[in-house]
Amino acid sequence: MIVTITINGKKESLQIEPGDMLVDTLRNAGHVEVKKGCDTGNCGVCTVLLDGKPIRSCSFLAVRAEGHEITTIQGVAEEARRFADFLNREGADQCGFCAPGFALTVIAMKRELKNPTEEEIRHYLAGNLCRCTGYESQHRAIRNYLEADHA
Amino acid sequence: MEIKEYVRPSSLEEAYQLMRTRHATPLGGCVWLRMNAKPVALGVDLASLDLDYIRDTGDMIEIGAMTTYRSLETSNLLAKQYGKLFPEALSHIVGVQLRATISVGGTVAGRYGFSDLNTTLSALGAKVVLYPGTITDLATFIAEGAESPFLVEKILLPKGVRGAYQQIRITRNDFPILNVAVAWTGSAWRVAVGSRPAATRLCHAAMQMLGSDPCPSDQTIEAASMQAAEETSVGSDIRASHDYRKAVLPVLIRRALLEVRG
Ligand SMILES: Cc1cc2nc3c(=O)[nH]c(=O)nc-3n(C[C@H](O)[C@H](O)[C@H](O)COP(=O)(O)OP(=O)(O)OC[C@H]3O[C@@H](n4cnc5c(N)ncnc54)[C@H](O)[C@@H]3O)c2cc1C
Repeated sequence: MIVTITINGKKESLQIEPGDMLVDTLRNAGHVEVKKGCDTGNCGVCTVLLDGKPIRSCSFLAVRAEGHEITTIQGVAEEARRFADFLNREGADQCGFCAPGFALTVIAMKRELKNPTEEEIRHYLAGNLCRCTGYESQHRAIRNYLEADHA
Repeated sequence: MEIKEYVRPSSLEEAYQLMRTRHATPLGGCVWLRMNAKPVALGVDLASLDLDYIRDTGDMIEIGAMTTYRSLETSNLLAKQYGKLFPEALSHIVGVQLRATISVGGTVAGRYGFSDLNTTLSALGAKVVLYPGTITDLATFIAEGAESPFLVEKILLPKGVRGAYQQIRITRNDFPILNVAVAWTGSAWRVAVGSRPAATRLCHAAMQMLGSDPCPSDQTIEAASMQAAEETSVGSDIRASHDYRKAVLPVLIRRALLEVRG
């Protein structure tokens, strides 16, 4: 079957099987910036935005993306680069594998929550696992990134 | 996930007939279904049936089967009725992204042992509406199931109920070792225990002990908590032993009761 999905602002018609998960559809279409991690819904590496809201593309049927807008990290490249500067300054990015899903979730959180508290930030990001950093440096980076807008 | 044949009906009747006549598998959030290695012969997608809603009908709250956990967690309507109950019960589950896909109907239909939502709904005294119109007490449905095939259309929640939720997990996003929810309905107490590790059960003797007093004494709360632990059958699994669950259970129930009583 063919589905038409707007990916990073561009309409794409893609051949899929009905049981395909979105992560595979996106990667097969060349969007390899979407990473495949645990493939069980646990790690958050495969996060993309569906109409602006974060979902796990490994646990989302591609057929349900028909007519919707999907944003990968490439679709928010400028904002992601800005956030990456804050991560780098805190030494909060190491192997980088979780970074696309993590950065997309942070960007979605920034759009969804106004002045999130520490607790709200931790809750929103709880589903993005990172095996390198131990999270504290990431939290400092997020804080600085959010505060930079209020400075 | 392999779906050999896929249909996206535009009416509940069509979906139900496919289940009745062709053994179709309803597709909810598919977060759980996709982990099953067995191919789905005929998948009936519930995504276009307008089942994603939370609405106030005047005397109750209705939640459609395709409503996601994220919607429950962020709903102003539910917050107004039940305070922080839903965010507290659901926000431990994996992450915002997965909760934006998991469906209420798939959770209720699955009657999973670990379910945080089914424990919460059982304590609130929810009812489940199975298409074309059978209304069943949700706690009974969780305990006994329903004749197949069944299609969960929506959940009905009574208004004016105050509830509290408690859980224990090894790590934040893991499955719960135990989950507990209690509620004061306005005339009686309800106490539900899930992740025993088996599915949610009500603690009838403890509920009776609490009686119809909205402000039970500390001693009654203590006794009812011990009674709930006594009457609830729990088991051992990879996360905790039978004895550990038995020891923790009265503590979680006491905390929840104290929270509701104030
Ligand atoms: C990694 C991971 C961690 C999790 N952790 C937790 C946790 O800590 N706590 C917790 O409570 N839950 C947890 N869950 C489970 C989750 O909350 C849901 O209960 C589960 O995913 C089922 O919801 P679904 O929408 O995915 O259902 P689906 O997978 O779509 O369906 C489940 C079953 O119900 C059937 N079905 C679906 N919709 C209907 C309907 N309307 N009528 C009749 N039958 C239907 C399907 O055919 C299938 O048999 C976790 C899930 C995952 C993947």
